[in-house]
Amino acid sequence: MTGLAADRRTFLKGLGVLGAAALVPGCATSTKSPGSGSAATGELSLQSNLSSEQAKAAMEKLVAAYNKTGGAQVKLNTVASEIFRTQLPTYLTSANPPDVYTWYAGSVADSYAKKDLLLDVTSVWDGLGNYPKSMQTLSTSTNGQKIFVPTSYYWWGMFYRKSNFAKWGVTPPKTWDDFLQVCRTIQGKGIPPIGIGLGDTPWVASAWFDYLNIRINGAPFHRELLAGRGRFDDAKVKAVFTRWREALPYFDPKGKSFPFQEATSALLAGRTGMFLIGTFFADSAPKDALDDIDFFQFPIIDPAVPVAEEAPTDGYFASRKAKDPDAVKKFMAWLATAEAQETYVQNSSGTAIPANPDGKAADTALVKKGKAMIEGAAELTQFFNRDSSDALQPTADAALTKFLDKPDQLDQILKDWQVAAEKVFTA
Amino acid sequence: MTSALTETARGPSAPRAGGGASRRAKRSATGRVSPLILVFVFVPFAVEAVWVFWPAVQGFWLALTNWDGLSAPTFVGFGNFSDMASDPIFRTALKNTAIWLVLFGGLSVIGGFGMALLLQRERRGVGIYRAALFTPVVFSLVVTALIWRVFYQPDGLVDTILRTIGLGDFVQPWLADPDTALYAVIVPALWRQIGYVMVLYLAGLKAVDPALYEAAKVDGASAWQRTLYVTIPQLKGVNSVVLSVIVIDSLRSFDIVWSMTKGGPYHSSELLSTYMYSTAFQSTQLGYASALAVVIFLLALAVILGYLIRAFREET
Repeated sequence: MTGLAADRRTFLKGLGVLGAAALVPGCATSTKSPGSGSAATGELSLQSNLSSEQAKAAMEKLVAAYNKTGGAQVKLNTVASEIFRTQLPTYLTSANPPDVYTWYAGSVADSYAKKDLLLDVTSVWDGLGNYPKSMQTLSTSTNGQKIFVPTSYYWWGMFYRKSNFAKWGVTPPKTWDDFLQVCRTIQGKGIPPIGIGLGDTPWVASAWFDYLNIRINGAPFHRELLAGRGRFDDAKVKAVFTRWREALPYFDPKGKSFPFQEATSALLAGRTGMFLIGTFFADSAPKDALDDIDFFQFPIIDPAVPVAEEAPTDGYFASRKAKDPDAVKKFMAWLATAEAQETYVQNSSGTAIPANPDGKAADTALVKKGKAMIEGAAELTQFFNRDSSDALQPTADAALTKFLDKPDQLDQILKDWQVAAEKVFTA
Repeated sequence: MTSALTETARGPSAPRAGGGASRRAKRSATGRVSPLILVFVFVPFAVEAVWVFWPAVQGFWLALTNWDGLSAPTFVGFGNFSDMASDPIFRTALKNTAIWLVLFGGLSVIGGFGMALLLQRERRGVGIYRAALFTPVVFSLVVTALIWRVFYQPDGLVDTILRTIGLGDFVQPWLADPDTALYAVIVPALWRQIGYVMVLYLAGLKAVDPALYEAAKVDGASAWQRTLYVTIPQLKGVNSVVLSVIVIDSLRSFDIVWSMTKGGPYHSSELLSTYMYSTAFQSTQLGYASALAVVIFLLALAVILGYLIRAFREET
């Protein structure tokens, strides 16, 4: 074994020499990354995070349809959504970035505009006069440029099975008190009234925070808070949790252990009563069960607060370094048309609603009801991470799951949340 | 040490072999190392330098900055390290990493060594047991995590077994309870690591000279004494390998924790590695994450160098 030890020493020495040699080239952080974009060959690259099977197929159809119109050819590059999310900053700061990206409207897009990484597409918006004001605001950066083209949105609601509600003899509640009454009735039947899925998908809890906050304190307060201009240990934020505590006894205790997909199964199987979730849950639900599904609006708590709804909006933005900005804008103008959006909606799971008011959504009672709810709302919010940043989301996940587990420690939880949030805002 | 000797010995002999022409002799004297060997050394080194050393060095530099991955990093000196002192999540992660190192490392050494002793002798069917213990090593940790998540899920295998044997009161949301999450993840990690350590020890045991056991037996040593005074001292070399493997594996344990709990619920099963990942790629605080990486690196280096230096001293 002596030989081995001597070898080890020489090895370590060698490692030191090699390491020193590696040090020589210099010391700086230049964000060089291999660009996946194309050279100026009249081809546009579209980086897409829509990697689920149906959405990916719909994107392929969409791109094929555009390539037939005779503009620059678009090359679709689909990346798994988690990789896309972590790599997006690298894409945008690389020397040769992809041209067009799927992403979310609002604060998350604006954060890149602030770093001057996005293409100004104001000229595209000249042709989008029919889009509602809310969409315009969502697509405008802090310095007044349009940087985003919205193409679809979806909604969140309290979903339930019609047959089960009939069986339990309850009707969809409108107010918070009615809601708690419904919870008590369902619990009386031995069923956990409120389903949730926090294992692996703790961000689902943020929907409760968002909704309670926009119902109690209103959307403007909510947005300011999430933009870092408020404090999470504010008394107004505490009021949100005081309300939430009233509903805590009705949450499914098993919801802590499984992800929202299983919470969906639990709802469909009648093991929970209702479930606050976005329409994307339908992707993992069997089609025949969907006919029995309905939803109601998150209960009104303070009638004096203008009604706001969560309507996360998806769409596209482009890199400022796009090789052929005119071709990019032409493509984005096409994406904003009703036809293009219908092509996508028809080929995907069908619960997304076209952003273009002239675009036809899937012709089901559920989608019609959802669309009417969003159109009737005084204010729209996106979702916790979209109204703030992906960086702030984990701080909410930690705070909210802890609250659901240990509501007694609320003061400490809010204090910790504020500290964690400050770190994100100053990073 | 010995290589210098052989070189000087070989040096003068080279021109003679070269046939006497002074130019050729000179060239062969300076080019004693064949170009092929140079290629073998420097091409991998160049690749390594670009993909390993350079990013590692950058990591050290980034640890001294605040960086969001978008704008230019701003230099903050040792600010990130002083932030750690007041960061409660860092303290939890450090504590959990220590627990992990002791439980995961300790139990896998004890378990692996025990299994190796049990299964070292060639008996009928021993291969089946060895294979069975080694099987979990073959699975990817993500697959292992998936299997164990099914075991742990509400009303899953673990809960069912507990209820069947009348311990229904112990049923918990194993991975969702901050008091049990970390330990619930250590179990599958051990399930895998024990097989691996067992194989290392089996190989070590095979190398022990049987004559030593015979001599010990003749001297009247009991089985226990033979293990204590023959086997264990003979396994010194393997021990250093096992220790390195265990320390490195503990500090880089990431996949199993990430795929089972993501460090949650609310950071209760966070290890330094998962905290580093979520800080870097979820909170995009790349400077702070790099500082965490530096801490992990220093911890691994300290433990392993400490052991190597001691082992080296004992041997010389």
